Amino acid sequence: MGDENTVLDETTARHLLRRTGFGAPLDDIARFNGMTRGEAADELLAFNPSSFRPSAPANDRDKAHNKWLKYIIRSRFPLQEKLVLFWHDHFATNITKVQDVIFMGNQNRTLRRNCKGNMRDLVKAINVDAAMMRFLDTDNNRKAQPNENYARELQELFTLGVNDFAGNPNYLQDDIVQIARAFTGWRYEDNGDPFLNDNQHDYEADFPSRGAKVIYAGNAGVALRPGGGDIKQPGGEGAGEIDNVIDIIFSHTDTNGKNTVARRTTKRLIEYFARPFATPIPAGDVTAIDAIVTTSGFATSFDISALLRAIFTHDIFYPTAGQSTQNSVKWPIDYVVGTLRQLEMKLKGRDQYVNGGDFTRAIDRLRNMGQEVFDPPSVFGWDWETSWISSAALLSRYAFVRDCTAARGSGGTAFRPSKVIDFSLSDPGDIVDAVTLVLGVADQLSAPERQVLIDYLGPGPIDLFDYDTQNAKLNGLFALVLQSPAYQVH
Amino acid sequence: MAITRRQFIKRTGLATAGTVLGPGLFSNMFVRNAMAFSGKYFIVLFLDGGNDGLNTVTPFNNGGGTLRTAYDGNIPANALRKTGAGGLNLSPTALAGTKLTNALFANGGKDPNTTCELAIHPGFNDNPGGGLPSGGLKAIYDQGRMAVIQGCGYPEYSLSHEESRNIWETGNPLGVSAYAGTGWMGRYLVNTAVSPPPPYSATDIPAVNIADSVVGEYRNTGTSVLALRRLADFGFPYDEDYPGEDAAKEIAFEALYGTAAGSGNPTIKYIGNTGASTETASEQYPQAHNVYHSQRSSFEDMYSNGLNTGTARGLREIAKIIYANERNLVSGVDANFFQLSNGGYDTHSNQGAEDTNGQHYALHSEVGNAIRLFWEDLATMGAGNTNIQNKVCILVWSEFSRRIPQNDNGTDHGSQGPMFVIGGTVNGGVFGNHPNINMAALDDEGNTEYRQDANGGYRSTDFRDVYGTILTRWLGMSQATVLGNVLALDGGSPAFYWTAANFNLGFLP
Repeated sequence: MGDENTVLDETTARHLLRRTGFGAPLDDIARFNGMTRGEAADELLAFNPSSFRPSAPANDRDKAHNKWLKYIIRSRFPLQEKLVLFWHDHFATNITKVQDVIFMGNQNRTLRRNCKGNMRDLVKAINVDAAMMRFLDTDNNRKAQPNENYARELQELFTLGVNDFAGNPNYLQDDIVQIARAFTGWRYEDNGDPFLNDNQHDYEADFPSRGAKVIYAGNAGVALRPGGGDIKQPGGEGAGEIDNVIDIIFSHTDTNGKNTVARRTTKRLIEYFARPFATPIPAGDVTAIDAIVTTSGFATSFDISALLRAIFTHDIFYPTAGQSTQNSVKWPIDYVVGTLRQLEMKLKGRDQYVNGGDFTRAIDRLRNMGQEVFDPPSVFGWDWETSWISSAALLSRYAFVRDCTAARGSGGTAFRPSKVIDFSLSDPGDIVDAVTLVLGVADQLSAPERQVLIDYLGPGPIDLFDYDTQNAKLNGLFALVLQSPAYQVH
Repeated sequence: MAITRRQFIKRTGLATAGTVLGPGLFSNMFVRNAMAFSGKYFIVLFLDGGNDGLNTVTPFNNGGGTLRTAYDGNIPANALRKTGAGGLNLSPTALAGTKLTNALFANGGKDPNTTCELAIHPGFNDNPGGGLPSGGLKAIYDQGRMAVIQGCGYPEYSLSHEESRNIWETGNPLGVSAYAGTGWMGRYLVNTAVSPPPPYSATDIPAVNIADSVVGEYRNTGTSVLALRRLADFGFPYDEDYPGEDAAKEIAFEALYGTAAGSGNPTIKYIGNTGASTETASEQYPQAHNVYHSQRSSFEDMYSNGLNTGTARGLREIAKIIYANERNLVSGVDANFFQLSNGGYDTHSNQGAEDTNGQHYALHSEVGNAIRLFWEDLATMGAGNTNIQNKVCILVWSEFSRRIPQNDNGTDHGSQGPMFVIGGTVNGGVFGNHPNINMAALDDEGNTEYRQDANGGYRSTDFRDVYGTILTRWLGMSQATVLGNVLALDGGSPAFYWTAANFNLGFLP
C-alpha cells in the first residue's frame, strides 16, 4: 500500500507525467524520479490558472480552435489544459448550437480560471455562462412553461448523476421541475453578461399548482433527504435561487450517506486520469473513491486541487506490478499534441498545418479522428476509450504522424530527429530503444514487438548521419512507433 | 516466410464471406435469410444548405384546391413568389415539361390531398449534351422508379442549418439522450435486432462516405465507416518521399497489429483488429478504382469529364465500389451503404426560377444529370453486364426547405420540404401531401406548419416515417425493432408530434 510518501521510480514517474500531460518528456521523468507522490502532485498542481481566452471573430470557429490548439501545444502547464479539456467535456457545450465563438471563448476562460479551484463555484459560474445558457435553453426558459433542459443536465451530467453507486435514483422528475423554475427568466446581454428578467421569473404565488420550490424533499412518499432543501433560502425568491440550488445539490447525500457530487466527481476524474471502471463499480473501487474523498476533504471543501492531489497520491492511480498501463485510449487531442511535443516540432501558420507530407491542417485531421474541441457532439460530451477507434479515425492518426515525420524543411515546424535521439547510436536495438523511450512506449512493447521494429531497421551498424538512412529508416521507425497500437493508448 | 495477417485474410476470405460461400450454401434457407441484406445498396444524398421545396415540387394548377392560386397570388402584393425579373415564380409554361402527372401511378401522380397537378423543377429535366444521358430525374420518374415524398419535416423545427441537419442525421428532433452522438444509419449498422448482418463489427467496413469525415447519419460506436473523397487517394499514408520503405513498413505494421489483435487486453485487441482491417481496406479500396478505371473507362470519363461536377464525382466513387463488389473483383471491397452531398442550396439571393443560368437550375441539373448517368451505369454494372438498378435505393434529403414567400430575389430558411427516393424497386409517384401554402395557414415566420392530425387534408409527413419505411422495406428491420433501436416516438400532442409511426408510406413494396 502506497501513500503520499511513496517514492516514484522511473516507471511511476513516467505514468504520472504521461497521464497528466501530453507525452512525458525524458528530462521531466528524470526530475520526478525520486520525488514522493505528494511532492510530485504538489509540483504538478503548482500553477496559477491563466486567463487565456481563445478569441476570434464571432463566426470564425476554426480560428478559435487553432488558437486553443496552439496554446495547448506550447503550454508550460499541461495539467492545466488537461483539466480544461476535462471540464469542457464535463460541461459539454458545442459551437454547432451556440454559434458564437466569443461566448465559447469566454466559457473556455471560465473553465481555465476555475479548473483546479472550487467546483461549487465553477458550477455556479456555469449556471450563468452565456454559451451554456444558449446551449441548454436557459435563455428560452419562461415562467409560462419552464424549460427543463438545463435543470435536467445540471443534475444528470454536471453534478449528481442519475443513480448513485447503489443504483438508487439521485433525484426525481419534480426536482427537475422545481430547479427549472429557479432558472426561469435568466438571460444574457449581447456581451454575454447574465441578468434576471424578473418579468419572466416564476414566483410560487403566481403558480400555486406547481407546488413549493423545494428539492429532494421527496415526493411519492420518499422522505426528505439530508441535504434536501428550500430553493428560496436564504434570500427569498429571485436572483439568489440559482446559487441556492447549487448549494443544495452540493450537500446532497446518496443512499449510502455519502456526498453524491464528491463521489461522482472523484470517479470521473479517476476515469479520466487513470482508468475506466467496471459496471457496476466494484466494491474495492468504491472503497478507494471514498478514501480519496475523505483524504481530500472534497465533500466539504469542493477543492478540486485537493481532490487531484489525493488521486495522484493514491494507489488506484498507479498500476500495481504486473498490471498493464495500456488501458486508456488517447483522446485525439492527446495524440496530436503529445506527438508534436515529443517530436519537438510545431504546426505552421495561422491555419496550424503540418509542414510536411500532405501539409494538412491539424483541425482536419482532428475532425477525422473524431474530436474537434469546442464542438463535442452533444451535452454528453465525447465518448471515451474505444469509441475513439474507427478506420477513418485511425487512418487520420496514421496520416497525421506520417505528415509530421515527413516534415523535412527547416525551422521549428520541421521534424529533426537529432533533437530527440543520439545520432551516434548504430546498433538497431539501441536505436529502437531510444526512439521508443522518447515516444514513451518503451515500457509498453513486448519483446516480439521490439524485435519487429529491429527487423524493420535491418542489420547494423546503422549510420544515422547518412542522409538517406536517416530519412528513410529513422523517420520510418518514428512513424511506425507513432502508428503502433501501443502509442494509441496511455 | 511467415504469413501476415493480411495474407491470411486474403487466402481464407475471412473478410469476404459473401465471395467464398458457394451457391450451395446460398440455397440453404437459413443462410439466405441470414444474408437478407447482402447484395443490396443504400445511398444517401444530402442537399446541403436547405433546398427550396416549393420550387422543387411546385403546384402546376389548383386541382380541387387553391395551392396554385396561393403560389401566384391574386394581386402582386399577395404573391408568394413573384413573376418577372428576380421573381422565383415557375409559370405553368416553364413547368410543362416536368409534370409529375402519370395515370399509372397512385393518385395519378397528383397531390393526394388537393388533387392538383405537380411538377418538379425544370433543372431535373436537363440535357447535358455530349452524348450523356439526358432527362435527369424526370426520365427516371417517367420510368416509375422515383418517388416524390412531399411535406417532410419534424416538430419544433429549427431554422439553423447545423441544428436541423443534425436533427435529420440523428433522426432525433427532440434530443432523446440515448441517441446522442449517433446517426440513424449508424444505429442501424450496429443494431443487434437485425442479424446478421447487421450488426457489423469493428472489423467490418459496411459503409463509405464521400466526405472528409464520417457524416452524422453514419456515426456509431461499433463499426467502421470509411470517409474518403477519391478511392485513388485512399491509400495507406506512406512517406511519398521514400516509397522504397513501403514494403518493410507494411510487414512491420501488420506484425505489430497482428500481435495486438491477439492481445488479452481488450482495448489493445480492439485497436489491433480495427487497425488491421483499416490497413487491409487501404490496400483494397484503391484497387476498386483501378479496376473501374481500366474496365469501365467510358463511364468514368462521362462522370469525370462529361459532367465534371461534385455530385458526379461522388457517384463515380460509389459506382467503383459497387462495380467491384458486384463482380467480385477486389477482395474485401463490399460496402453496401453510402453517403454523398451536394452543397450550395442556401439560396438567400439570386436563386433564379427556371432560368438555366440560375443557381437553383444549376443545382438541380447537377443532381439530376449525375443520378441519371449513375442510373445508366447501374443498367449494365452487374456481372455479365446485368442491370442492378433493382439492388439500389437512393434517398435524397435536405436539412430544411425555404420560406414560402420569397425575399428580394431569393428565399430564407423554412420548414417542410420534399424528399426523393429512387431505385429499381421503388413505386414511382407522389406520396405525402403538399404543405398548405395559403397565406393564412403560414406561421409567424412565413413557414408551413408541421401537423400530424388531418389538418384539413394537409397532414405533414414526418421524415422519420420515410426513414422507417426504408428501414423496414429496404433494410430488413421490423417496425417493432426500429422503434426503440433506431427511432423513438415523440411524447406530446398527437396533432403536433410524431406519436404514431407509419412505416408503410407506399413508395417501397
